[in-house]
Amino acid sequence: MRTRFRIALALFATASLSSAAPVRAQLKVVATTSEYGALAAEIGGDRVAVTTIAKPTEDPHFVDARPSQIVAMNRADVLIEGGAELEIGWLPPLLDGARNSKILAGAPGRVVASEGVQLLDIPLAADRSQGDTHLAGNPHFMLDPPNAKIVVAHMARVFKALDPAGAATFDANVANFESRLDAKMKEWIAALAPFAGRQIVTYHPTWRYFGRRFGLEANTFLEPKPGIPPSPPHLAKVMEKMQVENIRVLLVEPYQPRKTAEAVAARNHAQVVEVCQFPGALPGTDTYLELIETVVKRIAQALAAQS
Amino acid sequence: MDLFTLWLWPLVALIALPAILVYFGLHVVGRGIIFVDLALAQIAALGIATAVLLGAHPDHGGLPYALAIAFTLAGAALFSLTRFRHPRVPHEAIIGIIYIVAAAAATLVLSRTAAGDEEIKNLLVGNILLVSRSEVLRTLALYFAVGVFHLVLRRRFHLLSFDPEAAERQGMSVRLWDFLFYATFGIVVTSFVRIAGVYLVFSYLIVPAVCGALLSSRTAVRLAIGWGIALTGGVTGLVLSTQWQSMDLPTGPTIVCLFGVLLILSGATAYSRSRARPMAKPH
Repeated sequence: MRTRFRIALALFATASLSSAAPVRAQLKVVATTSEYGALAAEIGGDRVAVTTIAKPTEDPHFVDARPSQIVAMNRADVLIEGGAELEIGWLPPLLDGARNSKILAGAPGRVVASEGVQLLDIPLAADRSQGDTHLAGNPHFMLDPPNAKIVVAHMARVFKALDPAGAATFDANVANFESRLDAKMKEWIAALAPFAGRQIVTYHPTWRYFGRRFGLEANTFLEPKPGIPPSPPHLAKVMEKMQVENIRVLLVEPYQPRKTAEAVAARNHAQVVEVCQFPGALPGTDTYLELIETVVKRIAQALAAQS
Repeated sequence: MDLFTLWLWPLVALIALPAILVYFGLHVVGRGIIFVDLALAQIAALGIATAVLLGAHPDHGGLPYALAIAFTLAGAALFSLTRFRHPRVPHEAIIGIIYIVAAAAATLVLSRTAAGDEEIKNLLVGNILLVSRSEVLRTLALYFAVGVFHLVLRRRFHLLSFDPEAAERQGMSVRLWDFLFYATFGIVVTSFVRIAGVYLVFSYLIVPAVCGALLSSRTAVRLAIGWGIALTGGVTGLVLSTQWQSMDLPTGPTIVCLFGVLLILSGATAYSRSRARPMAKPH
């Protein structure tokens, strides 16, 4: 009887200790898309609790509101958005519904990742004649890895302002991330160097920054304008270009219509490569660096096979 | 419980707004034109697409909203003009055709612009979780006005839907009154779609009315049952989707599924009552 009581007591004690909340309150961070979520987790470590709104397999231009997202935003200390109007279709109503003054525009808890980033494809005309997305420029800048340094600096600055006690930790995490990024960049540039100047076709202009950084031409898109579904005349033009210039690699992301890409690829003896701009969609891509690593490998393999 | 803080306005919307939809639902089910609400929503979409073609930005400015209303009224006129006394084809068929042609026309119009289908759809399909206080109050005022209009003229509208021959004999201009019916109906439906989305509008229109029709033959009782079903389904759905956090269910579809359950229960109740009645002994 006494033994059983002692065992029960021991179990109870272990359970309460292991489920005890951390003594220090974590910063509640909400990120719109998962590359910002993954980076926030790396920079913040266990001083932050990160929630990501959009699933990595979801189209980032259109996200539907769910109760847990509104709750998370209502309780957030920090909101990290990509900016450059990527989330403009769905974030403003969520912000209204969340009723959290800490994360409104200009508030201390708001991080706009695109601040300070040199954007590509800023339209010259102020109208909608070039499509109805990307009116502020191409928002997919996180596919140029050095841009991540600008973004983690923003995150660290805001985390330090809201959690001064963690400043040393945040700085150390940033330095660690940057040194790993620099090391990996050397590898990635070497991996894609043999294919300098090669062209690839993508569904949406997502990979422009990636192409520019790694010496590939990712300027042919199945969409006639960003956000507009492929039309038969446009596809015919793309296929002709693929024939003439011998383009044999086509990138498609999880939320894009695979059938269209495969139909185009089949006609041109090209290969469809599944990639993603967000960590977590493809296996083995839980962190930002793992994501870029996987993407670089897949593209390099396809370019090698299609030589 | 955050139901009264975070979700206050969705809750108010789901309690106060569907009442008028249930009323219209009784008429719609009575007339047998189930898909008219989808057709009107699609016609409103064509209006917005046309505004975009004319250079307007779909998100702001008066033109998209004005054209949505204008096209809805034109649709109402079309429906009233195509309702024949001795139809060769069911009116529902005409409505279905109008729906699909409007949808295809919207795609064609948009193909001439730089806007995408998805964006226009997003404008029309709301999410009940994001409704704001001003939207709810504005829509409530609108529905109150429409409700008073229909309350005062309820006998005429009832005759129009359930016994159009009698209406004609009494000297009512059926075409005109039909237009008034479809026009007020269209305005209510289009504004509710913008708040709550297509699933919810269709479900609120049809399911409570059908439950009422299954359980009673008297209009007042049907209305009461319908309102009860609407209230139960809506509030339970909101509570379930917001409070059951591990599941994180989207609110609209949750409510629609609950309506399905309530419909089955109503059907079972009606069936067991019809079986029981022959055995009842008169006292």
